[in-house]
Amino acid sequence: MSGSEPPVVLIVEDEPDVAETYNLWLQDEYEVRMAESGSEALEMLDESVDVVLLDRMMPGLSGDEVLERIRGGESNCRVAMVTAVEPDFDILEMGFDSYLTKPIRSDELHETVSNLLERSTYDGLLQEYYSLVEKQATLEATKSHAELAESDEYQQLSARVDDLNDELSETLGGVEDDEDFIATLRELSNGDEH
Amino acid sequence: MATNTDQPGTMYDLSSVLDVEPLQAVRPGSSILITGPAMTGKQGLAYDILADGVSENQGAIIVSTGDRAETVIDEFAGRVGSDEFDLGVIDCAGDQQTTAPNTDINAFTHHVGSPGDLTGIGIGITEALEALHGRGADRGRLALSSLSTMLTYTDRKTVFKFCHVLSSRLEAAEYLGLFTIDASAHDEQTLQVIKQAFDGMIEIRETDGQREARVRGLTSEPSEWVEL
Repeated sequence: MSGSEPPVVLIVEDEPDVAETYNLWLQDEYEVRMAESGSEALEMLDESVDVVLLDRMMPGLSGDEVLERIRGGESNCRVAMVTAVEPDFDILEMGFDSYLTKPIRSDELHETVSNLLERSTYDGLLQEYYSLVEKQATLEATKSHAELAESDEYQQLSARVDDLNDELSETLGGVEDDEDFIATLRELSNGDEH
Repeated sequence: MATNTDQPGTMYDLSSVLDVEPLQAVRPGSSILITGPAMTGKQGLAYDILADGVSENQGAIIVSTGDRAETVIDEFAGRVGSDEFDLGVIDCAGDQQTTAPNTDINAFTHHVGSPGDLTGIGIGITEALEALHGRGADRGRLALSSLSTMLTYTDRKTVFKFCHVLSSRLEAAEYLGLFTIDASAHDEQTLQVIKQAFDGMIEIRETDGQREARVRGLTSEPSEWVEL
């Protein structure tokens, strides 16, 4: 997500009528792109895509296979799997960020997409928070108390660390429910591998 | 649950384990780092704080990176002094299920392949919270022992973020979190970074064979050093 550009949602759905319905619901708030198959989705996936809405049952590459390739690649996008049956809890371990069970209602779709975007915001804030905490620790390890008290850089850094901590507390994307909590932890591990 | 008079939002009183003023009323959702050199009883202190909660019908969750679930349960039962408690154990010490769990004790156990499997640990904690909630424990205390082991499996950035995310989850559950770290095993900068993920810390030191502890961060001034 950058600046005032609307977030990008990629719909991967082999039934054109269904895909068009999702598009109509989302197009006022998001830039929507549509792929009719898994292989087309992988071609269309680039850095600008924020959320992928992925149908699990498709001819050709299945949703699971597409997900595996997305996770193996460079993209940090969020993936909501669209399934025909309610998955059980263990499915959280499979690597997607959320799921929707068909038939999907407009409000459910909106809620899922905005929740996934909020989670991305949380991850971004957490990353920034860590960078600042590390800088702060470096200064603390190399300068005396007196030097730190005199340092404008250190004072500003400390103030920013406090602000970000508050912002993180207000952005519930990381922990709002169990699903968010697990997905956020998985993202930490994924980030570690790259 | 007749003896459980705790209401949501009630402060945690840890002063019967460590008698210092900042521990008389600890805000629900607080996460505390227990730091000190090797072999100074950091894990023992964390277990004692959990055992104290159990005596007030609070739930207890132990995330263990070293001891197997059976050992954790035995050790914890020894500290509680009975077999009647609600305990969840997340055993990250290896992926093999060992002997059958002790049937006298009704503990929830979850096995995770490695201390570096953060998603697995998270799933274990989620399921443990659910299991304890199902048994009527709406509040409780969680101990993770130890962050030092986790730091050998994954980098400090990931451990820091993990602590932050887990603290937020505990805050939502109104649990109290206790995390141990071996201060002698890491450089000063790493300790400084990890500390930032916590609301406060309990420092342990040993001088002339006497163990002492003090609390910092929960109140504006550090507490006095008191004997452990």
